[in-house]
Amino acid sequence: MNDHRSVGIVMIEDDEGHARLIEKNIRRAGILNDIRHYTDGTSALDYLFNAPDGPAKNGPALVLLDLNLPDMSGTDILAKIKAEASPLKRTPVVVLTTTDDKVEIQRCYDLGCNVYITKPVNYENFAQAIRQLGLFLSVIQVPEVEG
Amino acid sequence: MQEGSPKPSADNPIGRILIAAMVTGFIALIMAAIAAGYAIRQTNRHGDWVVHTYQVESVLTEVRRLAEQKETARRGYMLAGTPAFLASFDQAHDQLIPRLADLKRLTADNPAQAIPMRAVERRLAELDAAQRATNTLVQDGLGAEALRHFRADSGLQRMQKLRVMFNRMGHEERRLLRLRDGEQTASRRLFSAVVGVAGLLLVLVAVVSFLTVRRYTRDLTRSRAELADLNATLEEQVKERTSDLALANEEIQRFAYIVSHDLRSPLVNVMGFTAELSAATQPLAALIDRAEAEAPQIVTEEARLAAREDLPEAIGFIRTSTAKMDRLINAILKLSREGRRVLAPEMIALDQLAEQITDSIRHVIDDRGVTVTIARPMPVVVSDRIALEQILSNLIENATKYRHPTRPAEVHVSAEETRGRVIVAVRDNGRGIDPRDHQRIFDLFRRSGQQDQPGEGIGLAHVRALAYRLGGTISVESQLGEGATFFLSLPATLSIESA
Repeated sequence: MNDHRSVGIVMIEDDEGHARLIEKNIRRAGILNDIRHYTDGTSALDYLFNAPDGPAKNGPALVLLDLNLPDMSGTDILAKIKAEASPLKRTPVVVLTTTDDKVEIQRCYDLGCNVYITKPVNYENFAQAIRQLGLFLSVIQVPEVEG
Repeated sequence: MQEGSPKPSADNPIGRILIAAMVTGFIALIMAAIAAGYAIRQTNRHGDWVVHTYQVESVLTEVRRLAEQKETARRGYMLAGTPAFLASFDQAHDQLIPRLADLKRLTADNPAQAIPMRAVERRLAELDAAQRATNTLVQDGLGAEALRHFRADSGLQRMQKLRVMFNRMGHEERRLLRLRDGEQTASRRLFSAVVGVAGLLLVLVAVVSFLTVRRYTRDLTRSRAELADLNATLEEQVKERTSDLALANEEIQRFAYIVSHDLRSPLVNVMGFTAELSAATQPLAALIDRAEAEAPQIVTEEARLAAREDLPEAIGFIRTSTAKMDRLINAILKLSREGRRVLAPEMIALDQLAEQITDSIRHVIDDRGVTVTIARPMPVVVSDRIALEQILSNLIENATKYRHPTRPAEVHVSAEETRGRVIVAVRDNGRGIDPRDHQRIFDLFRRSGQQDQPGEGIGLAHVRALAYRLGGTISVESQLGEGATFFLSLPATLSIESA
């Protein structure tokens, strides 16, 4: 990423264990960016759009999004982020979920998701995928947020 | 229908009533006919008897008249002596003899007449003798002598007695006639009674039949209306229930999908942190190694066992269990996905499909040293290709898998069409399946026999689910040690409504 300090990673994941494993493996890939973790959609959206230190008001971000959330579907969050009037419409969104349903994958790409990753159930594969994602994050260019 | 439909047969009350009414009606008619026949015969006989009585009376009168004529002629001859009286006497006598015979014949039927009859005959004979005696005297010119005889025996008493006899006989005949009149009246009354009863019965039968038929007709009309109603709503009901079923089915599929899907999430954690744990034991084990080398006194037996044996063992069990659970969840997920897939029926040549499947698992077949033969020709079915391929490939793969330890393995695939259904048979000469397990093997996660082959007990459950979706059934025939034959019965043409 262009600036390791400035691009925050927002992880929306209801499973604490998954969140911890993801964070660990991203760190193992050498990514030191700030990672903020939200377990539900409402507070995540609040942070993304309204928080003074959130991405909409303050600097670029990258979103790691799980589709199965307790209060809303991940696709709703995706749609809000990628909406035409959204200040975050160019913010990269990586969908990281257990669902490998074809229809669901298509829908996410239609809504504008940038990467769709199915969590491998086998942990070795899972860890490897997250590390590769970390490597990917280290080279990805994130656009500045407008307005 | 909720209530039995009325039918005019002996099986239901209405049919029985109608039959009883008909029988009663016929009996009444037969009774009336018999009574009429009897009455006619009685009347005829009575008529005969009346004629008979009048005949007797007329003959009786004739006999009486002739007897009187004879006496009158004798007296005239005695007074006048002219031969004309004698001729009249002889004429009356000649007529009297056959009449008397007639009378005797006519009264023979009545024993009560026999006594007066004999008396009449005797008196007439006596009278005749007396008359002929006086007549002979007159003829010989002895008129005075004849008159003397007549005075001594005038025959008056005999005549009077004869008259009494005649009257008695006449009365007797009258009495008989009255008796027979009474009989006739009684029989006429009986006839009237019988005809009356028969008539009543007929009226009753008519009323009962009419009411029964009316009730039956009403029932029939009502049930016809019900039937029409049912017919009208049947299609709707079927549609309703089919959609209910489809909903329920969808619900189950969704349930299976969600359950298996949501079970995966915690499993990732279990596996992930197990890996973390496993990774963490390595520095610990290294530490123990170093401590043992550098300062053996601080390493307890417990710590060494924990780091070198207990932790790796526990982690190993957790890993194999989670791996198994993962496979099971994937199996459920796969089944639920199969249930959601939309079927696409197409023409499939079964022999080509079987060929294609054996080719695709050729390496497995060759590895196991199995001979697979495919019977030709096989029928063509219209069904879903993917589902059918999965079914057959599972069956063929299974057939090559469970070999008999001593026989070279052979698998034979054949198919035949009977009455709109195609039956595919996959036969092997493998180790066979215990008949107790024939149902069980089609259940999810259930297996049979020695567990020496890899597998989760998913294949046949999947096969059965697919067979059901294709409107088919699956069954097995096998004995332990004697190979097994799996029969897949499919509709020759899959209609998409039934899927």
